[in-house]
Amino acid sequence: MRPRSQAADGEIVRAVLAGDRERYAQLVERYRDRYARYATRMLGSMDAAEDAVQDAFVRAYDQLAQCKDPDKFVGWFFLILRNRCFAERRRNRTSASLEAADGVAAEDRTEGVVETAERRRALQLALLELTPDQREVFVLKHVEGLSYTEIAERLSTSVPSLKMRMHRAYDKLRDELRDHT
Amino acid sequence: MSGHDFHPLIKQLLDGDITLADLPAELHAEGEAALRLLAAVDRTDVSMPAVTWRVMAALERRRRRFLPWLLAPALAIAAALVIWLRPGTPPPSAALVTVRFVLVAPEARQVSLAGTFNQWDPQATPLVRAGTTGVWTATLTLPAGQHQYAFVVDGARWVPDPGAPAVDDGFGRRNSVLTL
Repeated sequence: MRPRSQAADGEIVRAVLAGDRERYAQLVERYRDRYARYATRMLGSMDAAEDAVQDAFVRAYDQLAQCKDPDKFVGWFFLILRNRCFAERRRNRTSASLEAADGVAAEDRTEGVVETAERRRALQLALLELTPDQREVFVLKHVEGLSYTEIAERLSTSVPSLKMRMHRAYDKLRDELRDHT
Repeated sequence: MSGHDFHPLIKQLLDGDITLADLPAELHAEGEAALRLLAAVDRTDVSMPAVTWRVMAALERRRRRFLPWLLAPALAIAAALVIWLRPGTPPPSAALVTVRFVLVAPEARQVSLAGTFNQWDPQATPLVRAGTTGVWTATLTLPAGQHQYAFVVDGARWVPDPGAPAVDDGFGRRNSVLTL
């Protein structure tokens, strides 16, 4: 018998649905950091991202019985988090900009990294100017390192449609970063 | 395509479909600038260790409204006892009243009280375990009037007092009410 910590997602989901609610913490522990970076880059704010990840896990718990394939919990959870991030950006579009800039500005400023830090800061701010759809495909491909095929599977869309979104994002970023490239 | 759009080949370069060497010479400089843009992507890992307990605490708080039916038997027999220092003598409006809170929770590692009297600080008022029976107690001196409170078991589980009336706090939680 496998140790609890190595239990498959489906096994944990079924246990939680059967009443062993404390085991939900295992799923949270397992996936909270995997999507922390996605949420942070999407929202431009660590605080907002932490709230979004927490809220998504609570919502997922509430709707756990609707998770049709418990073995694919993580993909199902991602869509809940994604919706939460999109809603948050619609609600609070401007407030993240300053924190995104500050977070980078606080990084190591030793000689030789200043230019990189400046460019990174500018890119962070420019990303917030993209539409959520554009930002998402950029984050998933260039931050999370997923291929177009993997992103298409995750978002249930087509590769050509993702590429179109991404190429518009490139143009917008170029426009925003004219002085930095 | 506006004057600021990338050349389609540059977009392929950014997508990783081609390399700089595949670009015609006149696009090299633009290609290098585009790759510098991607080099600025922040891929630093982000960790949110607090999310686990925050999620579980949020679930627990919401569950509290169902606790009379869901609590483990060890918790279900909890009770709060009120001891009046001067029985039979109604306290004046500014009087202080000593109250003894009791919770039976044999499996708990720690129990505390959070309420209006300690700014809902779950660490401010620990209960003391009495012997090995699983009975936890705290004796407080409180001003006369109405107080709302809950027990906090093991720092995370908010438990209303089954022996006291409860009210909704407006945020989906139930608080026990003590009127002195």
